[in-house]
Amino acid sequence: MNMVQALNSTLDHVMSKDSSVILLGEDIGKDGGVFRVTEGLQGKYGEERVIDTPLVELGIVGMSVGMSLMGVKAIPEIQFQDFIYTAFDQIINQMAKMRYRSGGGFTLPMVLRTPYGGGIKGGLYHSQSGEAYFAHTAGLVVVTPSNPYDAKGLLLSSVESPDPVIFLEPKRLYRAAKVEVPDEDFRVRIGEAAKPMEGDDITVVTYGSMVPTVLNTMKKNSVNADVIDLRTLLPMDVNAIISSVKKTGRVVIVHEAPRTLGMGAEISALISERAIEYLYAPILRVTGPDIPFPYRLEDYYMPNETRIMKAVNRVMEFR
Amino acid sequence: MTEMVNEQNEKDVYVRAYTAMVLSRTFDKKIVTAQRQGRIGFYTPSIGQEATQVGFSMALDQKDIIFQYYRDVALMIHRGVPIEVILDQIMGNEEDESKGRQMPSHYTAKKYNFMSVQSPVATNLPLAVGAAYALRYQKKDTVVVATFGDGSTSTPDFHAAMNLAAVFNLPVVFLCENNGWAISLPTDKQTKVEISEKAAAYGMKGIKVDGNNFIETYRAAMDAVERARTGKGPTLIDAISFRMGAHSTSDDPSKYRSESVEEGSEKDPITVAEDQLKSLGYLNDSLIAKIKEESVKIVNDKFDIQEKIPPPEPKTMFDDVYAEKNWIIKEEEDDIL
Ligand SMILES: Cc1ncc(C[n+]2csc(CCOP(=O)(O)OP(=O)(O)O)c2C)c(N)n1
Repeated sequence: MNMVQALNSTLDHVMSKDSSVILLGEDIGKDGGVFRVTEGLQGKYGEERVIDTPLVELGIVGMSVGMSLMGVKAIPEIQFQDFIYTAFDQIINQMAKMRYRSGGGFTLPMVLRTPYGGGIKGGLYHSQSGEAYFAHTAGLVVVTPSNPYDAKGLLLSSVESPDPVIFLEPKRLYRAAKVEVPDEDFRVRIGEAAKPMEGDDITVVTYGSMVPTVLNTMKKNSVNADVIDLRTLLPMDVNAIISSVKKTGRVVIVHEAPRTLGMGAEISALISERAIEYLYAPILRVTGPDIPFPYRLEDYYMPNETRIMKAVNRVMEFR
Repeated sequence: MTEMVNEQNEKDVYVRAYTAMVLSRTFDKKIVTAQRQGRIGFYTPSIGQEATQVGFSMALDQKDIIFQYYRDVALMIHRGVPIEVILDQIMGNEEDESKGRQMPSHYTAKKYNFMSVQSPVATNLPLAVGAAYALRYQKKDTVVVATFGDGSTSTPDFHAAMNLAAVFNLPVVFLCENNGWAISLPTDKQTKVEISEKAAAYGMKGIKVDGNNFIETYRAAMDAVERARTGKGPTLIDAISFRMGAHSTSDDPSKYRSESVEEGSEKDPITVAEDQLKSLGYLNDSLIAKIKEESVKIVNDKFDIQEKIPPPEPKTMFDDVYAEKNWIIKEEEDDIL
């Protein structure tokens, strides 16, 4: 299965098991969503449970918050993460703070799904990686799978999460790879990173859309790297990072979002607070540049093998 | 509480409504004074909106869900929320349902089906729509209400919520407590058309009502609630009243407002109610005096008791961010405390 199929079958499974689950979003019904993640679900579960909403992101999120307060499990889809900003207040001030502001009285077990990132020729407004905005907000859980297996396992965990989850789907990986995804239930635990490659020389921390790029680069260049796929960005798996850094003493962080105040800044700070004495070299970041996402030149925007290897070599050669 | 007023109970129902209005007024005056004395941090009084809130409350059932805003003390009192619960929130003490986390006037009263007030205005409206969707899906016979001021009708959340509620034909009542002002901006600088007229654009019923008259507000609310409960969809009520004082204890209306509405004047909703109930023979001067005296005693006594309750333990500030504390919050808690 590819990631779209994995997400689709997982949503199907969740809906068949739990009648309190409701999906809502733009074009998610007959159309199955612009990326087809909800294909066929309206036919199966009806228009009341797979709701084609008017075009209003703040309304989609706000309604989902209200539904979840009443014991319905809302799984809204925002067509592209770029359009979430019109619903930002609802996410930051309602979704994230409901439990806290009600002293634990009202809780929001909801999952806000949205495709993010570049690589599909989407230009400025269909390619943004806004994870840092969400990961900066207490009260949210932020996850991003990098493969179909994790997509299913993480989605099942997210649906069971007692707290609101921002589920970021790297859209350029939607159909990138097919892997075996078991039929039966399994969970990828929130807050737990994966290590898709083990090595002793360098730690490469990455997540979401950049994971396959990093893995290919490491394999192709025979780098003996410990690759960490964070999978959860808030709260991230600090132990996985620190124990790897203690082993390798060298770190490169790779993500697609712009560098300034991005996830890489946080990861780097955590490492310097906790393991600076193990470091042989400065921590380097390979990220998107601090510019809006350019349409025709997107291949230059995204971290690629050349840029990643440049950073890896600098860190490896540092004395 | 839905008060199906009839000949037998009309007197009781109306006098109860009046008593709630008086208690709310007494409460507000007490808190404003206490704020000036430095005993309370901030407050947004309902003075002038009592008839709107109580008249509206009379049409609701106890099971109905309220996404209230920061100015709904009369509504809460009439629905039976104890004064203590309101005071605890304003004081942010350890008995406050939200554990002293929100600034005063941001109430939560779960047991009474009052949700939790947020500061960004009108962002409660889309939530009410979602709640109504969920309750209808669950086949519950529950009406959902959102309250807000006239200024809030300019926000995207208002338009989004009105449109969604109408498209999905949901059991929601939107109550605009139109007190004529949004801090310093009068309603005619907020909107070019009557607020009730906006309803037509979304395909729902709009009702303009004299929000200074609790009986008229009650009738309008009954109509709206009945429509919601019988599947006829949402209603927007524009209840016109006068904000009799400041927007909040931090506001000085003399900077932007020339006329003022005096307590006891014919524009005061409590005076209006007194005239109505006297002419119906349900109230007389001595009964009015008794109700007012009692309300002062209740408010003073409860204030003195609740004021002695200590603030929440510092460690509670790290609770309820998530169902379980993550390592980040645990570490920060250890670091700070
Ligand atoms: C989105 C947002 N912008 C600004 C404010 C600051 N603010 C608080 S109350 C208020 C006026 C609201 O007026 P209205 O909706 O008419 O209600 P009223 O306070 O008059 O009852 C403003 C501007 C806010 N709380 N939320």
